[in-house]
Amino acid sequence: MIDRRKFLGTVALGTASAAFLAACGQSSTAGQTGSAENPVTINYTWWGNDDRAERTRKAIALFESKNPDIKVNGNFTDFAGYWQKRATEAAGGGLPDVMQWDLSYLRDYGQRNQLLDLSTVKINTDAFDKSLLPSGQIRGKTYGIPTSTNAFAVYYDPAKLQSLGVAEPDGQWTYKEFNAFMTEVGQKSNNVFYGGTDYTGVWWMFNIWLRQNNIQAFTDDGKLGFTKDDLKKWWNTTAELRGTPALVPEERVTQLAPKSAMGSNVTASEVTWDNFMAGYLGDSGAKEMKLVPVPSDDPDNLGLFLKPSMLMVASAKTKYKDAAARFIDFMVNDPEVGQIFKTSRGVPASKTQRDGTTFEGTDKLVVDYEKSIEKYLKDAPEPPIVGFGTLEASFKRVSSDLNYGKLTLDGAADAWFKEAEDLIKQNA
Amino acid sequence: MTTMATPTQPQPTKPAPAPVYNPKSESGTAKRIKSTIFHIVALALVAMVLYPALWMIASSFKPNSEIGGANTSLWSNNFSFDNFATAMEGIGGVSTLTFFTNSLILAVGAVVGTVLSASISAYAFARINFPGRGLFFGMMIATLLLPFHVVIIPQYIVFQQLGLVDTYVPLLIGKFLAADAFFVFLMVQFMRGLPAELDEAARIDGAGHVRIFGSIMLPLMKPALISTSIFSFIWSWNDFLGPLLYLNTPEKYPLPLALRLFVDQTQSSDYGAMIAMSVLALLPVLVFFLVFQRYIVEGVSTQGLKG
Repeated sequence: MIDRRKFLGTVALGTASAAFLAACGQSSTAGQTGSAENPVTINYTWWGNDDRAERTRKAIALFESKNPDIKVNGNFTDFAGYWQKRATEAAGGGLPDVMQWDLSYLRDYGQRNQLLDLSTVKINTDAFDKSLLPSGQIRGKTYGIPTSTNAFAVYYDPAKLQSLGVAEPDGQWTYKEFNAFMTEVGQKSNNVFYGGTDYTGVWWMFNIWLRQNNIQAFTDDGKLGFTKDDLKKWWNTTAELRGTPALVPEERVTQLAPKSAMGSNVTASEVTWDNFMAGYLGDSGAKEMKLVPVPSDDPDNLGLFLKPSMLMVASAKTKYKDAAARFIDFMVNDPEVGQIFKTSRGVPASKTQRDGTTFEGTDKLVVDYEKSIEKYLKDAPEPPIVGFGTLEASFKRVSSDLNYGKLTLDGAADAWFKEAEDLIKQNA
Repeated sequence: MTTMATPTQPQPTKPAPAPVYNPKSESGTAKRIKSTIFHIVALALVAMVLYPALWMIASSFKPNSEIGGANTSLWSNNFSFDNFATAMEGIGGVSTLTFFTNSLILAVGAVVGTVLSASISAYAFARINFPGRGLFFGMMIATLLLPFHVVIIPQYIVFQQLGLVDTYVPLLIGKFLAADAFFVFLMVQFMRGLPAELDEAARIDGAGHVRIFGSIMLPLMKPALISTSIFSFIWSWNDFLGPLLYLNTPEKYPLPLALRLFVDQTQSSDYGAMIAMSVLALLPVLVFFLVFQRYIVEGVSTQGLKG
C-alpha cells in the first residue's frame, strides 16, 4: 500500500516536473504562427447550453473564413463540469489555448500563473468602457477581457401587478418604498404569490448597498472592508417582512429549486442580474417581465456597476499567443459576432460590437436597462478574492438560517464573519 | 462431496403439538387478510420507489414551464412529444444518435474488457499458486481503498504525456487490464467456491491452464460473469467524470455529458429536453438488465448441482 502510494507519488512528481520543464523550455515570443496553406489550430472551450453551442459554432466559422491561417477547435461542457475539467487540466498542464471564463475563478487561476497576461498581446480594448476593464485585471496584469456585461436589477411581472391593481414601480425608490411595494403585493395577492424574495440574502445586493454607503466590500489586501454592524444593519433591512406574505419563505424557495421563485410564478418580483431574463421567461411561461434599478437611500448613488458576465482568457502555456489574441479580439469586438450572440452572453461589452448589433424584444429590454443606468455606473469591483464562491454560498446559507429563525441577528453575523475570516486566512 | 461424519444423536421425542382450536375457514380468512395487507404494503412501497421514475416519464411530455417549481401535478393538459423532438435534434451540431453510439461503444468496451481481464486475473489468484500471490492479492484489494479522486490528477498527467487525451483509451484501458479490483475480487471469491476436484480431474485428463480456464471455469462462472457485465455496463453508461476529464471533442461525448448541456444556470434551462433524453438514455440500461438478469437467476439455480 505505502509502496504503491510512494510509487504513484514519484510518478506524479516526475511527470509534473517534466511538464514544468517542458513548459519552461518554451520561448516567450509571439509563438508559432500559421499560414493559409498550413494553418495553426487553437483550442477554444466554453460552457453553456445547446443554444450557445450553436451560436459559437457560427462565430467560429466566421472567424475561420476571415482568418484562413487559424483553425479553431471548439468544445463545450456544462458549467459545473467545466471547472472540474479545468482544475484537472491546470494540474496536468494542458489548459486549452483560449477559454470562456467566469469572474469568480479569475483570481484563482491568475494568481497561479495559469493565465496569459493579455496586455502582452495585441487585443484592441479602445471600445470598452473604462470602468469595466479593471474587473479583468489583477495587480496590473490583464488576465481577462470581458465579452459582455450584466448589471443588478429588480425584475417584476407587470401582468401580476396589474391583476392586483398595484402600480408598476418606476425604479426610483428607497429600501422602505421597495419593502412597502412587496408588502402591498403580498397582502393583495391573497397568498397566491408573494411580494418578492428576501434580497438581504444575496451577496451582490449587499455589495451594492455597501457601495451606496461608500464602504468597500474587500480592502485592497483582500480583507473584509465592512464591520459586523454593517452586516447586521443590512440583514435588519427586511426583518419586519420575514414571515409575512411580502417575502417568499425560505422552505418554499428550497422546494422550488432548481427553479427560482420568480421562474415558478411564486413571487411578483426578484432582485438579481439582468441576464436572467430569458431564463425567467422560459421557466415561468410569463409573457413579459420588466427591469428597474435597485433601491437606494441616496438617489444619486445607486451603487450599480457593470460586471463582466463572462470573460475571454488564454492559457499561459499556449503555443499560439498571436492566434489566441486574434481570436479573443474577434470574439469581443466584431459586430457580426454581436449579431450572432445578441444578449445570450450578456450585453456586448465592446461599443463596436454593441453598436453593430440590432436588439429586439427581450434583448432590447436588457440593453435598454443597462443604457438607462449608465449615469449611475461606477467602477466595477476588482475580481473577487480566492474562495469567493464559498463566501457567497455561506452568505446565502447563513442568511437563510436567519430567515428560518434558526439564528439570531447577532448569531448570524458572528457565524458568517468567522467563516469568512477563516477562509481569508486560509487563502492568504 | 464430503459427508458430515457426525454420529447421529438419539433424537429426543418431540412433545405432541398442543391441540389448538383451528377451524379451516377462520385460518383461511386470517391468511387472506394477512396476504391482502402484505400486498397493500408491498404496492405502497413499489409506488414510492417508482414515483421518481413515474415523475420523470410524466415530465418528459410536459412543456418546460410546467416542470418542477410550483407544479406538483403529474398530468399536464399540454401533453406533447416536443421534448423528445428537441432531445433528438442533438446539441451544437452533434446528433443525439452520436452520443448514444459513443455511450454504447464505451459500455460494450467496458463489459468486454472487464469480463476478459477480470476472469483471467481471478483464475490466477484463485487457482495458481505463484510466489507472492497473497501479497499481490492484498495489493489489489488495497486499490479498492484508494478513492478515485486521489488518482485523478496523476492519471491525467500520465495520459496527457502519452498524448492519449481525447481518445477512448484512458477510459477503456483500465478495464482491459483488470484495474477494477472489485470485479476481480468478486470472481476470485466465486471461483474459490467451485470444487477444486473439477480442475484436478481435468488436469489428470491432460488439460493445461488455458483449457481448464476456457472449458471448465468459464462456463461454470456464468453467474459471476453476468453480474460483472451488468454492473460494468451500468457503471460505464452512467460514468460522468471520466469522459468529462478525458474527452474534448463534442463528437466523442457519451450521453451523461450531453444530458448536462440542457441545463444551464447562466442562461435558460431546457428541463423538458433533458428529462426526455434521460428517459431515452434509461432504455438501453433497462433492456440490458432485463435481458441478462434472468441468467443470474439461472446461474444461481444451476449452481446447486454437484460436480
